[in-house]
Amino acid sequence: MALDNTVEVETPELVRFRYRVAGPVRRGFAYFIDLLIRGVVLVALATALAAFGLSGTGKMNGIMAVSAFGLEWLYYVVFETSGDGRTPGKRAFKLRVVKEGGFPVGFIDSVLRNLLRAADFLPVGYALGLAVMAGDHRFRRLGDRVAGTLVVIDDETRVVAPLVLAPAPTADELAAFPQRPPLTAWERETLELFLRRTDLTEGRREELALSAAPVFAQRMSMWFEDPVRFLALLHHRVTTPAAPGSERA
Amino acid sequence: MTPSQDEFVHARNGEWTELRALLDRGRVLHKLAPAHISRVAALYRAVCSDLMRAQANGYGPDVIGLLDGLAARAHNALYDAPPYRLRAVWELLAADFPRALRKHARFFALAVALFLLPGALGFVGAYRSRSFALSVLPEQTVEMMEKSYAKGFDVGRDADTDVGMAGFYVYNNVGIAFRCFATGILFGVGSAFFLVYNGLTIGVVAGLVTASGHGKNILTFTSTHGAFELTAIVISATAGMVMGYALIDTGGRTRTGSLRAKARDVANLVLGAAAMLLVAACLEGFWSPSAAPAPVKWGVAIVAYTLVTTYFLRAGREPREPRP
Repeated sequence: MALDNTVEVETPELVRFRYRVAGPVRRGFAYFIDLLIRGVVLVALATALAAFGLSGTGKMNGIMAVSAFGLEWLYYVVFETSGDGRTPGKRAFKLRVVKEGGFPVGFIDSVLRNLLRAADFLPVGYALGLAVMAGDHRFRRLGDRVAGTLVVIDDETRVVAPLVLAPAPTADELAAFPQRPPLTAWERETLELFLRRTDLTEGRREELALSAAPVFAQRMSMWFEDPVRFLALLHHRVTTPAAPGSERA
Repeated sequence: MTPSQDEFVHARNGEWTELRALLDRGRVLHKLAPAHISRVAALYRAVCSDLMRAQANGYGPDVIGLLDGLAARAHNALYDAPPYRLRAVWELLAADFPRALRKHARFFALAVALFLLPGALGFVGAYRSRSFALSVLPEQTVEMMEKSYAKGFDVGRDADTDVGMAGFYVYNNVGIAFRCFATGILFGVGSAFFLVYNGLTIGVVAGLVTASGHGKNILTFTSTHGAFELTAIVISATAGMVMGYALIDTGGRTRTGSLRAKARDVANLVLGAAAMLLVAACLEGFWSPSAAPAPVKWGVAIVAYTLVTTYFLRAGREPREPRP
């Protein structure tokens, strides 16, 4: 069970790994970066051509028109097929285009998904694309559907330091818990994500803990005073195997 | 006894770092030394089993996330997309494009009708009454068209303007074709609309210019590149309608699955049409406005139409079985 939008990919080795699918906001930011880059390139080109004394000539118009065409229709295909499924904007926001099934995106797929931008854009500002994305748990716009592609988040996580309980749990506190607290894997994951959050105020932290702690307390027929401390102890008990002999009889 | 998360990470981190370093060397795995490639494959399998162990032992989301990311990257490097080389471009033009068009000949016929009928209507209407033309096109455009075709091509156009116009034709016409295709996803409606709209406009302009007595000029100008340009726009719309129809008649698949099944044909049609439009832009920029005498241009146009027709009828056919 995933906590956020992930897709599972099963490889020929019968291993499953998960991708986090990128939502419209993050993709929107990447789009604006690309838009900005395309705009800057066009302006820079115009300035350069003017510096060579070409302004107002047919040559300049021709070069500008072909460049505008390339930046509008080919920019994405070129970057997606040569640059690891990423345009500069996607790179900045750690996004990547992959085929369904986790394979790298091919030329034909990239062409299709990017030509269909013209349809996703309708009637204005990618409105249709957004509406279609909203109805899909993998956030695929029309172009993604035709090409069979996904935009995933390529954010490599790091192994973080284990959570440290402060003050350190006393033997008495730990002994109150069962040896193996009955938690599912994703309950454990939820607990850890909650305990790692640093952006919560004290009050909000307590409020959130209070909504979860009774569930676990009831399951283990326990009683608690401080819900945050209780959840932290519970997590500690689950993740840290007791050293042999440290347990009180 | 399952190792704790810390012990597990400590024991395995060396290989993870090694794999990451190998992957960081560049995306194109097959350019690495053979020993490296097999090392990546071995490390990938190790990471896959690490991932399964981590999931089974219920390690933290950070470890699982890291292994997910690493497995995904290695998987991407090992199972690369089939490369699209120059040879594929040749195969597209020599066989896949005309084959795809023959396969969807019915949609092509429909697209031709949706283009030509409004075109004929526009021509007759605008030829008979100027007010009809004004109801379709704004007055400025009408006057500009009448003026620009009144000149004739005795002197040709200077080379500099030619370059500018060729660039504009690439931007404008290929853009129109691509939009004509993409909007076909709306159950074919967008493509049909663009066909009717473009057909009508072109018909009206031709009718207007003919009525003002310069029909020969517009015929001379458009005849050669039209063979490529108009055909390509109609083909883009064909691709759009194939795509739109895939949403309607799914053949038992899901709608997305039905789209996917047609994706290859659709892409071949659009890419082929784009290639034709590039040819058309060059012709329209440099040949059509040139000072070559009108009969020569007509002759070239006939050759162009014959070439295009023969190409679509014959190119990419399987060789016939030799007779016994």
